[in-house]
Amino acid sequence: MACVVVGTDEFLPLARAQSAARGLPELPVITVPHPIGGIAPGAAAAKAEPVATSVLRALTSAPSAPSVAGAATGGMRGAPSDLDEFQGWLMEQGWGDGLPAIPPTAERVKRMLAGTRRGPEEIVAVLVPRLGRATIEAVAANAVMAGALPEYMPVILAAVEALADPSFNLQAVQTTTHPCSPLLIVNGPIARRLGINAAGNALGQGARANAVIGRAVRLTLQNIGGARPGKEDRATHGHPGKYSYCVAENEAASPWEPLSVERGFSPADSTVTVCASEAPHNINDHGTATPEGLVATVVGTAATTGSNNIYLGGEPLIALGPEHAATVASTGWKKDDFRRAVWDAVGVPRGRFTSENLARFEAIYPEGFQDRSSAAVLRIARDWRDIMVIVTGGAGKHSAFIPTFGATRSVTRKIIE
Amino acid sequence: MDIVDPVGSSAATSRSLAARPASLEGVTIALLDNSKPNAKELLERLGALLAAQAGARAVRVWSKPGSSVSATATVLEEIARSARVALTASAD
Repeated sequence: MACVVVGTDEFLPLARAQSAARGLPELPVITVPHPIGGIAPGAAAAKAEPVATSVLRALTSAPSAPSVAGAATGGMRGAPSDLDEFQGWLMEQGWGDGLPAIPPTAERVKRMLAGTRRGPEEIVAVLVPRLGRATIEAVAANAVMAGALPEYMPVILAAVEALADPSFNLQAVQTTTHPCSPLLIVNGPIARRLGINAAGNALGQGARANAVIGRAVRLTLQNIGGARPGKEDRATHGHPGKYSYCVAENEAASPWEPLSVERGFSPADSTVTVCASEAPHNINDHGTATPEGLVATVVGTAATTGSNNIYLGGEPLIALGPEHAATVASTGWKKDDFRRAVWDAVGVPRGRFTSENLARFEAIYPEGFQDRSSAAVLRIARDWRDIMVIVTGGAGKHSAFIPTFGATRSVTRKIIE
Repeated sequence: MDIVDPVGSSAATSRSLAARPASLEGVTIALLDNSKPNAKELLERLGALLAAQAGARAVRVWSKPGSSVSATATVLEEIARSARVALTASAD
């Protein structure tokens, strides 16, 4: 079957990377000026006319001989020895995130490898869109660049494995225009041992483990996975968590079982859960003293029309501050009681969506949008059990609502030391 | 200074593109809509132009279940069975 890709010019780098990763670098891509969405349908269709001849030619001309794909073979690369020069050089290669990075010399990578019992050639995962082989050594090189300590390696490796689980949908998460990035939630004894912050400013700066574990995973996704900002990574804005997004659950301050135990692990196990998450949206409630009242406050932060979770599903996360968690638990509520109450309360009335969006969402999620009555309300998850709840953070009357990409499921992996 | 390549190797394997027909005369054209707004409109207009200019026999449209997921194997098999050439979409 002769195939031609029709895209917009903005998406050309992604289409090229995708065809190369599938071993077809010569697959013809014909572009029209971006965008096709958000304009009148007739205007989008009119963009076909100037390119019809090129499409016809591409469908009927012999393709050029295939070149060898996957030319990069790993190994060693020459780099400037001067640390300042190295920073600029790294960015020129497209391997940096903008912050200073540590050169992954053979000696440093060897020290990093001491943090795991796994061999350097072992493949942890194959990461899309590039189909890059995440060997232990290649991940270690990115971990060095991020400033990680060897003892962080088991967390980083478990996270990389989790990201490659098909239910996470890494291909879409890496290349979407949506602002999402893997949020790593660490549970169990390793979080305390490594000093992964679960207390005050848990989602902010100031803890080395949080900062560099999240950064190591991001650099791995960018470099091995081949999701370069503005190229294959098509994020319209991205968000600051794309530099690093790692937190531990504050198990000591939680009135309930931790996320890992909920998912069938023992309290003695250490786990990492990856979620394709937006930035945190604050839930400020300094006044309410009842669980029902707090749920009412959650509604205002969580019920929004511009949410992927509304029409794609997925698992939006509520990261309760310990004081809010205590309020919820004060009358005996379990986590599931809170989940059900949030699901019941947080809805967006159908009338708030534009007609264009309703037409689109009805096609994507017909079951959810089939009720066309004026009383119809759309939920932020397909099922109340899909609302994720963790407890994290320090003193204060704030919680965070963290929506996700939607077409993705969170994945939990045991951390093997 | 030498550093360990942070990109590493790729599991991509080289494949050959399918042979192209010399013309679209009497050929069925498949359109695979990526489910982004207006993608179908653009592809359908292209299909209509190709049919008019090059004498294609028919134009048929298939869709991905959503823009953030792959086309199903059933759809891909159906396209391969039913059409000689295909246009797919990568855009927003």
